[in-house]
Amino acid sequence: MSVVDPLVSAVDRVVRFPANALEYSNILLTTNDAVVGATPREVVWTHRNTTLYRYRSSDRRHAVPILLVFALINRPEIFDLRPGSSLVEYLIDEGFDVFLVDWGYPDEEDDDMGLDDYVCDELDWAVRETLRASGAEELSLMGWCIGATLCAMYCGLDRGGDRGERAGRVPVKNLVLLTMPIDGRGGTYANWVADEDFDVDGVSELWGSIPGGAIDFANKMMKPVTNFWTTYRRLWEGVQTGTAKREAYQSMAKWVADNPPFAGRAWREWIRLMYRDASLLRGRVRLRDRLVDLGRIDQNVLVITAGADHIAPRPGTMPFFDLISSDDVEHFDRPGGHIGLVAGSAARKELWPGIAEWLAKRSDG
Amino acid sequence: MADRRNGAQSPEEQVRALYEEAESNTAKAFEALVNKPSFGRLLALSAENTAALTRMSFDAVDLLWRNLRLAGRADIVRLSKQLHRTEDKLERVLQEVEKLRDEVARDREGATS
Repeated sequence: MSVVDPLVSAVDRVVRFPANALEYSNILLTTNDAVVGATPREVVWTHRNTTLYRYRSSDRRHAVPILLVFALINRPEIFDLRPGSSLVEYLIDEGFDVFLVDWGYPDEEDDDMGLDDYVCDELDWAVRETLRASGAEELSLMGWCIGATLCAMYCGLDRGGDRGERAGRVPVKNLVLLTMPIDGRGGTYANWVADEDFDVDGVSELWGSIPGGAIDFANKMMKPVTNFWTTYRRLWEGVQTGTAKREAYQSMAKWVADNPPFAGRAWREWIRLMYRDASLLRGRVRLRDRLVDLGRIDQNVLVITAGADHIAPRPGTMPFFDLISSDDVEHFDRPGGHIGLVAGSAARKELWPGIAEWLAKRSDG
Repeated sequence: MADRRNGAQSPEEQVRALYEEAESNTAKAFEALVNKPSFGRLLALSAENTAALTRMSFDAVDLLWRNLRLAGRADIVRLSKQLHRTEDKLERVLQEVEKLRDEVARDREGATS
């Protein structure tokens, strides 16, 4: 290397700085224009803020439809992030009839919505409407994050009859649980909210529904330097070297910034059962006087955990395997983060084919 | 040139590596910091204060609004809750109707076959 090379490189960078700065600011300023959730869909059913969507497959090859359930924070469009990087699109291409339940944007009038409302009404009715629309007798339930926990609670809810009996069984054939928290004790969240000094009742009463911005800020504070600095620094480097992936960055950034409020009662119930007393694990959760017993889960179960998940760390999911009574249980443990594992650029090659294959074997007739 | 082929870093690359190491160490230090219970208490108090201030400001604006004989946020929320209750009842009635329609259809099928 000649002595003038670094000088040339520095001059080159100075000359290109204005153009790079313009491109960088353009990426940040036009993030809201990014296309998120573009796969064509139709509304099947609505109730309060909840909407059930259907994504029709033109090449339907499997009899059992899939119902996708996302968390009560952030938006379910992560299942259909952008064309070419959409789990919904992939499943449709694989011949599945796909439905998605969208919890909407709860407002002050929804403060009194609890986990029982989500599990016993909204999810139960979404399942019912999915079956009516598809003409199927059973479906595959695929939940992600809190959505996965809600799905597990739905399948474990006591509906009368003994464990394993046909009577009182939910019409769920397959249960796919992506990065699902069951026991949140021991994590950073627990350090923040498990202490009795943190008055969850007071905060939820004062705020009503917990603002999405507050939830987002708390999520980002778990990795403050990475979320508030490194992401933007890497984007700048990408712009400088010409490797920035504008569409990928913008669609993810737009999704991350879209935060619906968390209904107040559901939020305080979630904090208690997940971070304070782990009552779900101990079989002490009751929804409308009916016990949630994870031992009642006897569906075909696929659990997916992420090695670098700091929101729902793997140890918080593992006790689930000791509780359920299913004969057909599979566990995919992959490297990746809470969201990146399923929605990242590598998911299309590394994870989705595995999910589709697992479902295909269990979705015919 | 020979140095680079042997894997030696240029001064620029060395500076970058040093910076990235510093950033990574800072990130770890901050993650350890936010993981402390004392930070949790700080966050909890901040959340409570922000919530209280938000509620107080909403209440003050609402009071002013209602004295001007205009519908305030509280009135709209009350009306929305009433709509929700009506929608809940309607949904349950609709489900019953659908159930009965299915039963009638099954009975008819049974009678014809």
